[in-house]
Amino acid sequence: MRAQETNEQNDERLLIEAAKRDPGRFADLYESNFERVYAYIAGRVRDRDMAQDLTAEVFQQALANIGHFEWRGVPFMAWLMRIASNAIADRWQRNAKEPPLPDDPPEEEGTDDQIERRAMLSELVDALPPDQRHVVLRRFVDQRSIREIAHELQRSEGAIKQLQFRALQTLRMNLRSTRNG
Amino acid sequence: MASPALIEQLDFAIDALMAKPERALPQVDPAVMPLLMVAAELRSLPRRTFKTQLKADLLERAVAPAMRVIPMERPAARIATQAQVLPTLFGAGYGSYAVQGRNFAASFVAHVVVIALIATSGLWVTTHQQPMHEQVTALIAPTLSDYTPLSANANDRTGGGGGGGDRDKFNAPQGRLPKFALDQFTPPAMVIRNDHAKLTMEPTVVVPPQIQVPNSSAANLGDPLSRIFGPPSNGTGSGGGIGDGSGGGIGSGRGPGVGPGWGGGIGGGAYRVGGGVSAPRAVFAPDPEYSEEARKAKYQGTVVLWVVVGPDGRPHDVRIQRTLGMGLDEKAIAAVRTWKFAPALKDGQPVAVQINIEVSFRLY
Repeated sequence: MRAQETNEQNDERLLIEAAKRDPGRFADLYESNFERVYAYIAGRVRDRDMAQDLTAEVFQQALANIGHFEWRGVPFMAWLMRIASNAIADRWQRNAKEPPLPDDPPEEEGTDDQIERRAMLSELVDALPPDQRHVVLRRFVDQRSIREIAHELQRSEGAIKQLQFRALQTLRMNLRSTRNG
Repeated sequence: MASPALIEQLDFAIDALMAKPERALPQVDPAVMPLLMVAAELRSLPRRTFKTQLKADLLERAVAPAMRVIPMERPAARIATQAQVLPTLFGAGYGSYAVQGRNFAASFVAHVVVIALIATSGLWVTTHQQPMHEQVTALIAPTLSDYTPLSANANDRTGGGGGGGDRDKFNAPQGRLPKFALDQFTPPAMVIRNDHAKLTMEPTVVVPPQIQVPNSSAANLGDPLSRIFGPPSNGTGSGGGIGDGSGGGIGSGRGPGVGPGWGGGIGGGAYRVGGGVSAPRAVFAPDPEYSEEARKAKYQGTVVLWVVVGPDGRPHDVRIQRTLGMGLDEKAIAAVRTWKFAPALKDGQPVAVQINIEVSFRLY
């Protein structure tokens, strides 16, 4: 287990060194950290648009400052989290005139498990069967109604509701199996 | 296989969750709640294209700075100080500014010329200071008067005159001249006011004795130039003597001489410089002022004045010999009237002389 972590750290270190020499290699670091960074931010701000803006800001800052990053054995994700935390604080400070609603307080900083769960959920959605994934994305990401999705897929509303039910069941099972595994 | 009731309940709860996401999860069947919690987490999923778009944007940003890295790899040029960027005479110590030697040469020549002009202008002013302050005051020997001098020596030039009178009501009649002498003790008189003088002396006029003039054959003394043959009279003048002048002489002049003129002698006018008469020397000669009219018109020229410098060193009878106009004549006269002279001397005695004075007006 420890050997595996050491290998992952070495790989990450190599990716960082490569990105410092060639910013074009930053894409590898982006791919390996995007889900968790977005999950961390989405868990704190809840608003999708703001989460996307902050995620973009975090990676842009990381790209701009990758040359100043010094490897000290701490995961690269910790550095991204710190950037994200500062970005969220700055955003709240700028939006001080628009305080969050009383019944919608910002979430406390999520634990690593929660962040990992949210990050994994995105990957699990991609692993769903095509019809279920389509329904989930249209329903929860694009916020379409069952009727609109049924019209798009030329299927009955009952069939769409059943696809939605089965997709959620699949995701829940995969989440549990992944966490237990 | 889920019952349709659970499927409908889940969908209904999801509708409520999507409509008001800020609210807590609705109460549902325990079998549906875990699915509803997964649905709640799905609400925050990013849009499908967000990840790829952000990746493309980052790659673009990563490539763009790489293209701008080229100048960054030349730190010497980027962090060069201003002094290093500025061109230098020999082209050293900079990296981004092309030096043209001709510019330095032209700048050097221009500086030399300017400095030379500044230096020479001061020198020019210094060397030309004297002429600028000199108001030309030339003393010119006057021309001969109307009187013809009769002298033993043809080269002798005489002048002067005299006049007299005792304020009689009649002009002095014609008569002969008295004896010429260098000193006068008794002025001539046609009408003797004091018949019982205790000490009588022969009346004389101050004329060099060697001078010979045509004299009248009349028995009585009088003015030989008078056209009157009337009753005896010493004339309307003053100061003794005969005539309408003053000063103990005979005629219309002033002084103990004969005829029009000044200060003794004969020949008209005052003495002239030369023939034993020295020139007067100006001891106080302030410059004349420029008239405003002439100054505005930048008018220049010379005024010639005819002046008699008396034995007292003061100018008398200032007349304009050559006019200039624009108020400069008046300014010249006003200035010359204030002048003072060391008087002309004849035989060691101060005498009146007539001179011409040129007063030049120049704008510098």
